[in-house]
Amino acid sequence: MADGECLPAMDLMRSEPMQLARVIIPMESAHRAISYLGELGLFQFKDLNKDKSPFQRTYATQIKRCGEMARKIRFFRDQMNKAGVTSTKLTYGSVMTLDDLEAKLGELEAELLEMNANSEKLQHAYNELVEYRLVLKKMGEVFNSAQKKATIQHREQEHRRVEGSIDSPLLLEQEMTTDSSKQVKLGYVSGLVPRDKSIAFERILFRATRGNVFLKQDPVGEPVVDPVSGQKVEKNVFIVFHSGERAKSKVLKICDAFGANRYPFTDDAGKQHQMITEVNGKLAELKTTIDVGQHHLVSVLQSISLQFEQWKTMVKKEKSIYHTLNMLSFDVTKKCLVAEGWCPVFATNQIQKTLMQASTDSNSQIGAIFEILHTKEAPPTYFCTNKFTASFQEIVNAYGVAKYQEANPGVYTIVTFPFLFAVMFGDWGHGICLFLATLILILREKTYSSQKLGDIMEMAFGGRYVIIMMSIFSIYTGVIYNECFSVPFEIFGPSAYACRDPSCRDATTIGLIKVRETYPFGVDPIWHGTRSELPFLNSLKMKMSILLGVAQMNLGIILSYFNATFFRNEIDIWYQFVPQMIFLNSLFGYLSLLIIVKWCTGSKADLYHVMIYMFLSPMDDLDDNQLFLGQKYLQLLLLFLALIAVPWMLIPKPFLLKKQHEERHRGEAYVPLGALDDNLGPDSTPRSHGGHEEFEFSEVLVHQLIHTIEFVLGSVSNTASYLRLWALSLAHSELSKVFYEKVLILAWGYNSVVILIIGIIVFIFATVGVLLVMESLSAFLHALRLHWVEFQNKFYQGDGYRFYPFSFALMGDDEE
Amino acid sequence: MGFILTTLIFLVIGIIACFCARICCNKGPSANLFHLTLVITATVCCWMMWAIVYLAQMNPLIVPILSEGE
Repeated sequence: MADGECLPAMDLMRSEPMQLARVIIPMESAHRAISYLGELGLFQFKDLNKDKSPFQRTYATQIKRCGEMARKIRFFRDQMNKAGVTSTKLTYGSVMTLDDLEAKLGELEAELLEMNANSEKLQHAYNELVEYRLVLKKMGEVFNSAQKKATIQHREQEHRRVEGSIDSPLLLEQEMTTDSSKQVKLGYVSGLVPRDKSIAFERILFRATRGNVFLKQDPVGEPVVDPVSGQKVEKNVFIVFHSGERAKSKVLKICDAFGANRYPFTDDAGKQHQMITEVNGKLAELKTTIDVGQHHLVSVLQSISLQFEQWKTMVKKEKSIYHTLNMLSFDVTKKCLVAEGWCPVFATNQIQKTLMQASTDSNSQIGAIFEILHTKEAPPTYFCTNKFTASFQEIVNAYGVAKYQEANPGVYTIVTFPFLFAVMFGDWGHGICLFLATLILILREKTYSSQKLGDIMEMAFGGRYVIIMMSIFSIYTGVIYNECFSVPFEIFGPSAYACRDPSCRDATTIGLIKVRETYPFGVDPIWHGTRSELPFLNSLKMKMSILLGVAQMNLGIILSYFNATFFRNEIDIWYQFVPQMIFLNSLFGYLSLLIIVKWCTGSKADLYHVMIYMFLSPMDDLDDNQLFLGQKYLQLLLLFLALIAVPWMLIPKPFLLKKQHEERHRGEAYVPLGALDDNLGPDSTPRSHGGHEEFEFSEVLVHQLIHTIEFVLGSVSNTASYLRLWALSLAHSELSKVFYEKVLILAWGYNSVVILIIGIIVFIFATVGVLLVMESLSAFLHALRLHWVEFQNKFYQGDGYRFYPFSFALMGDDEE
Repeated sequence: MGFILTTLIFLVIGIIACFCARICCNKGPSANLFHLTLVITATVCCWMMWAIVYLAQMNPLIVPILSEGE
């Protein structure tokens, strides 16, 4: 829609003109065409198969394949992370087709799984052998010491027997023989039990076998890797001597219950020694095998890591291409795919060239056909932003995406948002700190944009241009408010005030007087610390808020005029823009005028009184509150204008809209009978292709009533809402003053270096934490609210939808 | 007098900034108009803020009363 005015178009003011296009692609070049369009990133596909479920679509199997490959790639990434191999940046390896990639991924996965299983088995065996070796060593010691004691005792007995009398040898021999025949063989079970369970183990063994076992435990010095769980556990080596089969089965069951691993043990010293050497040999063998296996695994993972990123992107791209292909529909001959979608008008040539390229590259005989459709559907909104304007546009979009081709508040937000923030933040010391911090972010843009930052850092980094604009404006308003960490400076010449007489007696009672010209730039430095500082500054900042607010609201209404002109909406201009301007300016524009006149003349008129009595008793004389000649008559005129503006906004527009609707659809009252039947059919969504529009007069009237009341009441509440500029600015300067005076100056007064250093540290933390972070967030939020509500409700519809093209660059790095 | 002088200074600075923007990034008429809008808006905002603070101090109704011990 070309605008009728001679004003040239402005970047970013309105959405790029968009068109609905249809592309017919032959089957053989379909995949390549979509891939090239994805690289170009300027075409938004419409889903032509919306009523089909994901499984009914043509390319469902391909997507499943891609999903499988993505799973394998995730598996590789986990393995690489476990082995500590990092994936290097994109290296340009060989370009392979999807089938080749699938095969390669499959074989690599099988190899990795096999290697993992093998190494697990080997590790298990290794751990078992380690435990067995411990059992052999410890029990060997036990048996040796026991044997030594036994031989000593035996020798002593022998000695005693030999030395004994001849009287009782027979009996003893009998005892001996009976002893040997009745000797029950002791069985034993040896193994390792976890140390924390060893006491319970002992107790249960004792109870279960009624005390008929002998248990000897020996703690192992260092923790041992348990073969079953794979963790390092403190263990004790134990050996249980029991007699009889029943006791043995009980002991075995208890060992299993406590997870004690059992290992066989011989009491033959020679065999023990042999076992130990055998076990040592096997352990050494296993260790080398495990090391070789690990080495092989790492080398395979490293070879994967070189191509990992490339494979990952390829799989992601293919998946998105197949998703897009699923959105296309077949044409009648089933030999071509039909795509419908939105694209910007300026991109037409690029898209046509890309399609031609795809056709030639895939050696197809027919080229793709690109045709433009005409529709009444609302196109998506597309703004060509660069990295600077993108963050401001995001702020506007967060409230609502602009309707197609309506005026974009983002243009003015780039300046007014940081400006209103700065009005609330006003301190050039803090502004410089913010500026330096953001400068670091901007100078190291390249490194940060490729890293993965935390949530908060990500937000701060994304908004770095917003923050730097905010800090630059804060430095300016800080100079105007004359505050640097709440300290004023006399930069622009001497203060305008001086004592009334040389002795300065009245300085603390009546005060100083103005002797020179007004301080040329900003607030006079004398005010800081005086008793009348707050009344003066409050009056100044409140009036400033009203003036800035009225200016911004007028800008909003003027933007609605530009919208009405662009869309050739005469009704809106005469019956909405004009009465709105008249109403707002006859009340609050007049208030702004009074403020300025009072400042210029220095009159003592009470503006509250003037405004309120303008409504309550407009015919009264003004007396002391007269600011200029003819004020009473001007007030009567403005009151009258405001009063007629309200019905002017409310009544004519619905009637005119009704007349317009009747004129437009004058010929459609008579329709052929056949068409009537069609209308009653299931096609109850005529709006999707711009059909016959409904017009309910009562609905339009109510809508207009709501709009009028909202504007009239809103003009008072919105103007008052701008007083938050005063409130936050006051809070900031008071906090800053408290931290300066009560922390820094107090610490200075003690004349001690330690207290001074503590004071400085507390001051820095308080400034950064409260003033730079919290106050910034607070001022940001309030400036945002002022824009979203008070500025934008004058003209912004914000019910469009965003242009989201099929683009590989826009595919997020989603860590599924 | 001081008011008009400084207003003229703001005007001159604004014009210089417009020229700088035109020289530094000359990217076609729509982009130029966009940069011009930004510069003008910034200049107007800054001027308004200064003018408000200046006018408020021209004929003051409250005078500074020093606090004890200064």
